[in-house]
Amino acid sequence: MKTRITELLGITYPIVQGGMAWVAENNLAAAVSEAGGMGLIGGANAPADVIRDHIRKVKAVTDKPFGVNIMLMSPYADEVAKVVMEEGVKVVTTGAGNPEKYMDLWKSAGIRVIPVVASVALAKRMEKYGADAVVAEGTESGGHIGEITTMALVPQVVDAVSIPVIAAGGIADGRGIAAAFMLGAEAVQMGTRFLVAKECIVHANYKERILKARDIDSSVTGRSHGHPVRCLRNQMTREYVKLENEGKGFEELEYLTLGALRKAVQEGDVKNGTLMAGQIAGMVNKEQTCKEMIIEMIEQAEGLMNRN
Amino acid sequence: MLEKMKEIIAEQLSVDADTVTEASSFKEDLGADSLDLFELVMALEDEYSVEIPAEDLQSLTTVGQVMDYLKAKGVEA
Repeated sequence: MKTRITELLGITYPIVQGGMAWVAENNLAAAVSEAGGMGLIGGANAPADVIRDHIRKVKAVTDKPFGVNIMLMSPYADEVAKVVMEEGVKVVTTGAGNPEKYMDLWKSAGIRVIPVVASVALAKRMEKYGADAVVAEGTESGGHIGEITTMALVPQVVDAVSIPVIAAGGIADGRGIAAAFMLGAEAVQMGTRFLVAKECIVHANYKERILKARDIDSSVTGRSHGHPVRCLRNQMTREYVKLENEGKGFEELEYLTLGALRKAVQEGDVKNGTLMAGQIAGMVNKEQTCKEMIIEMIEQAEGLMNRN
Repeated sequence: MLEKMKEIIAEQLSVDADTVTEASSFKEDLGADSLDLFELVMALEDEYSVEIPAEDLQSLTTVGQVMDYLKAKGVEA
């Protein structure tokens, strides 16, 4: 499956692993890249030296290309923006904002810059500022989300820009990949499926919740505050949504979510932690290696796309 | 400039042009979120042939501030 994205990134398969905070560290990123996809280290709120360490650990085990997702609202974003250049990272994706102030810097270092966008206007703006591609991320995704569904967003972004588009949100098998390609995408980004990969360091309790999740287990906290986050239902989300419906503000409820993702990922606290996952979690029910996942999905997608 | 601005804002944010004043805050009064603001900025850049970098956006919270900003950039009133 050759596309402008596989060419641009130098990867075998048009599959990008989402830069999930706390989850996408060196083990997962290296495994996905080694399997022929695009592994990403999730920069999240981590200090620059932590990211540097992850980058070096990936380089130590694979010479395949990999990238770093930079969360622009991180207090360390400026430093991480420099670290990726110093460490010779080839691909940067960005989330939670507008990366245009770093664009010239990264482009001059030969880095491929791929912002994650949730609207047509932002996609157009990113193209104008020199982005090499965009990830059009639908509201089906886990974690911080926009409003528009993948089905509606992807073709609109594809029509609006001439750079290649990577579809994200609600994709976890070959059918999803084939569907995304029909909408005009030239690669997909997936998080939830890789979250249960054997190489993923997320706590076993968290994996178990995803493997057992049903379609209706997905909930969104913080929508009324303008900071919607999709995760699996648990005690924390029920409490949050209840208080949110009572009109409690973002600051008043922050105590519920502060450090809650780390609690879920590292301590396996599935009651009070934030179990970020996409709506497709209900379909994700096998723990496999990244390589097994990628081969299975690509074979399925190719079978569907060559059917006529 | 205010009349033209009102027209652009009304179109981009789907609000009634008569409700837009120089003192209107995009977020508080006009209900715009960050994605709306990008739409608006893109429309303003096209209309006035200027570049509005993201760093400048944070200080532009009201219609009047945007008008001052554009004038400072050499846009004719």
